[in-house]
Amino acid sequence: MANMATFEKDSPQLLMGNEAIARGALEAGIGFASAYPGTPSSEIIGSLAEVAAEAGIYVEWSVNEKVALEAAAAAAFTGVRSICAMKQNGLNVALDFLVGLALTGTKAGIVLVTCDDPAAHSSTEEEDSRPVAKWANLPLLEPATFQEAKDMTRWAYDLSEELKSVVLMRGVTRTSHARGDVRVGERLAPNRAAKFEPVIPLEFTSLPAPLKHAVAHQKIAKAREIFETSPFNWYRGPDKPELLIVTSGSGWFYSLEAVQTLGVEGSVGILKLGTTWPLPEKLVREHLSRVKDVLVVEEIDAFLEGNLKELVGEDPLAVGPTTFYGKRSGHIPATGEINPDIVTRALASVLALEYRPVAADYAQKASALTAGLVQMRMVGFCAGCPHRATFWSIKNALRLDGRDGFVAGDIGCYSMAVGPAGYWQIKTMQAMGSGAGMASGFGKLAPFGVDQPVVAVCGDSTFFHATIPALINGIYNRSNFTLVVLDNSATAMTGFQPHPGTGKNATGEAAPSIDIPTFCRALGVRTEVVDPFDLQGMTDKLLELMRDEGGVRVLVVKRECQLVRARREKPVYRMSVDVARCLGESCGCSRLCSRVFQCPGLIWDAERGVAAIDDVICAGCGVCADICPAGAIVRERA
Amino acid sequence: MSSDIRAGRQLRAEVIDRSLCTLCGACTGLCPYFVAYRGRVAALDDCTVDQGRCYAFCPRTPTDLDAVSRATFGEPLDTSPIGRTVDVLMTRAARDDVRAKSQCGGTVSALAAFALERGLVDSAVLTESDASLLPSGIAVRESSAVLERARSNYVAAPTLAAFNREANRDDVRRIAVVATPCQALALGKMRASPLENRNNIDKLSLVIGLFCTWALDFERFTRFLGERTPLDRISKLDIPPPPANVLQVYNGSERIDIPLDDVRPFIRPACNHCLDMTAEFADLSIGAAEGIDGWNTLVVRSDRGRELVEAALAAGVIESRPLPDANLDHLKGASLGKRRRALANITQLTGSDDDLLYLEIDAETRRKLLG
Repeated sequence: MANMATFEKDSPQLLMGNEAIARGALEAGIGFASAYPGTPSSEIIGSLAEVAAEAGIYVEWSVNEKVALEAAAAAAFTGVRSICAMKQNGLNVALDFLVGLALTGTKAGIVLVTCDDPAAHSSTEEEDSRPVAKWANLPLLEPATFQEAKDMTRWAYDLSEELKSVVLMRGVTRTSHARGDVRVGERLAPNRAAKFEPVIPLEFTSLPAPLKHAVAHQKIAKAREIFETSPFNWYRGPDKPELLIVTSGSGWFYSLEAVQTLGVEGSVGILKLGTTWPLPEKLVREHLSRVKDVLVVEEIDAFLEGNLKELVGEDPLAVGPTTFYGKRSGHIPATGEINPDIVTRALASVLALEYRPVAADYAQKASALTAGLVQMRMVGFCAGCPHRATFWSIKNALRLDGRDGFVAGDIGCYSMAVGPAGYWQIKTMQAMGSGAGMASGFGKLAPFGVDQPVVAVCGDSTFFHATIPALINGIYNRSNFTLVVLDNSATAMTGFQPHPGTGKNATGEAAPSIDIPTFCRALGVRTEVVDPFDLQGMTDKLLELMRDEGGVRVLVVKRECQLVRARREKPVYRMSVDVARCLGESCGCSRLCSRVFQCPGLIWDAERGVAAIDDVICAGCGVCADICPAGAIVRERA
Repeated sequence: MSSDIRAGRQLRAEVIDRSLCTLCGACTGLCPYFVAYRGRVAALDDCTVDQGRCYAFCPRTPTDLDAVSRATFGEPLDTSPIGRTVDVLMTRAARDDVRAKSQCGGTVSALAAFALERGLVDSAVLTESDASLLPSGIAVRESSAVLERARSNYVAAPTLAAFNREANRDDVRRIAVVATPCQALALGKMRASPLENRNNIDKLSLVIGLFCTWALDFERFTRFLGERTPLDRISKLDIPPPPANVLQVYNGSERIDIPLDDVRPFIRPACNHCLDMTAEFADLSIGAAEGIDGWNTLVVRSDRGRELVEAALAAGVIESRPLPDANLDHLKGASLGKRRRALANITQLTGSDDDLLYLEIDAETRRKLLG
């Protein structure tokens, strides 16, 4: 079967946006690809990893985004084209290096793809990556179609080498995860005659910074010239439109649909920009000068809108009086994800047109109709997930301890413990590694009256990514907290990518496995290992560690991700309910299993007033047998 | 009364969160939600039951003393200074080794062991402490196991958790409990409970009550004590009768005397609201015979209690003497004193002379109780 490495030239392929980017990189002859996984970016490096051997390229899951970018830059410095991908949070992690790289420049082409997550469907924050391009002096590209994602990536390498600068490419969830037709091109071979050979002193450093900063500005000026004629900027509409939509990325299709829906093709034009920093000034001014009203359609922040206004402000007479509509005017929501309906409403509003796609009470009617069909479900852990058992024990340990102890959270599947899935146990949650970092601070506040036990959680992948420095900080500064490492042997949240503890690398080969308990013990901290399915054992151990106030303690909670295990093995137990023993809602139980523990495999048979097992969902982990106060949940070896 | 019974959430709000909990353990071991842990009752999760046994059995939720008396003795509440009394004696264990291990005369251990040995009960719920002095309830089936645990440490113990678990065992039919006054009251409330599920209370065959002035908070007291002597080497704690006014800590061959005034700050606040010094709802109540070394005061309250004492005397397991009148008078005075102090503390807490917190008694009963 043809894969991304072996597509026939000129053949049409149905590709996910992220795959189109990956294919574009292959066509550009990259030799090196690196990333830390993060939705919605993960498939770029994931799909390259699948064809790495065939394509003759090196692909790695790096320990974090900063290291990923550093590794990719190393390849580019030697003459090997490289790609690095990350989500918007990851860009923050990589920023320190990225700014240095922007000043340093590059030898071979290097493209940094950041995929933003408007509405934070799978993120802990909503953030627009694009302003980074402006203040770090990086050329910025935004693909709008699947074909463009591929072509733009391919072209970005030529641009990168012409400018001697890393090129930033920004996608969003919909351009990354939707699929469309892509006609593929020819693949260049990676450079195999690479060598690290600085020609002038300080060449591969950011020094002297003032000089390199000035050079970066020159590169931006050059990029502006190049962008004036870029095929990724185009206009569609009448020569003298009444209203001009200026858009980029996902806004292109939405704007097109809005214009068609309202039937205003004759009076509204769309200027679609693929090169959004620096703006091609002449092109943009020329289009703005034809109209008085401009609607800016873009996702997350008013980045494009602000830059357009700046451009008009620099030479107001060249453009003439212009009214801008968009996020600042409130026609497009200032935050969150946009969609065709939002854009159509905005356009209709600017044009003073009636637009009512559905009746006013449509939403209420729709929910009334579907209410009986859809089961109320909260975001939660999978059936059999070790994290549920872990947070059950954390909750019980904190309540038994009774000193108002709390959990500083981190980023991963277990982040869901901010809500009912983990019994609302996580009380702070910001960034990768910030659980241990916060705990390090909380644990120093006893002189100010904070006498509560502090528990930090992190996952195994998060441990390697950013927890280690925070842990060391806590040890070095004699802080006082318990770090619980939820080791499920996978980067589960983003699709089970391997990491330094799993013994496998990105391309499936055996890799050195870094043992977290051994690592922690080498740091000199008390480290214990428990199985989260041993509820009593874990609760007792955590209680013991919380009372041992001799500094930092580590509890490694080790149990493989249920989804990973289930791909390989049948369920361990067959679960059933002995209805004669089930206390149900009466005093002595009050539905502990389905009401409090809340594994989705446990259901409540309201008619009979007893608990039941949903055999389709139950993963057969057996944990619920240990929580039932009446011994009514029965576990038998499957 | 039954409409007054509420559930876990109210138990937390009205008792636990107000530091009124006596840590008797009556609310624990019944369900997954209330658990005794290191000197307190922890609530692990909320429960949705409208009327719960936890609330019904708690000795600090609204309590109809007359109903408890009727359920326990088949008689209305006896308001005399040491409660219902069939007989009062001075007793001690016949065996020297039992007396040596015990606080005073060893009568409690001797009777509990005898009840097991004779098959009068098949399980005895006692209190034992671990090396850190953390007490917990334990159910034993052998008389030798009773004698091994003859020791008290004045730390509040959730003993009834063990009773609650034991009562649900199919292989146990008759249970004896060695109980403090608050625990005896909770057991009385189980007997009197109008709830359908009464926790197999019919298995409760014998309550051996302990005289009690107060109990100590585990965490704070053991931290204090641990700074003075290694906890795991303590063999016995004793508070000799006045005027000594000390807590004696036996540590190997050494004895440390700690002034009681240093210990009093660790008394559980709940004890200040307790009217009962002599475990008035027990079948037998046992304490020191003040000023008479090696002897107990024994109050017989029920036929069950009387039969056991008579059998034990006949078997030579315990010995008895009449209790000197002066001792009985002193006991009554002390008991009344506790009642008066508790009622004063209660009205001070509630800020109202009519609000007696958990006590559902009319003005006349109140007057009688105060002597």
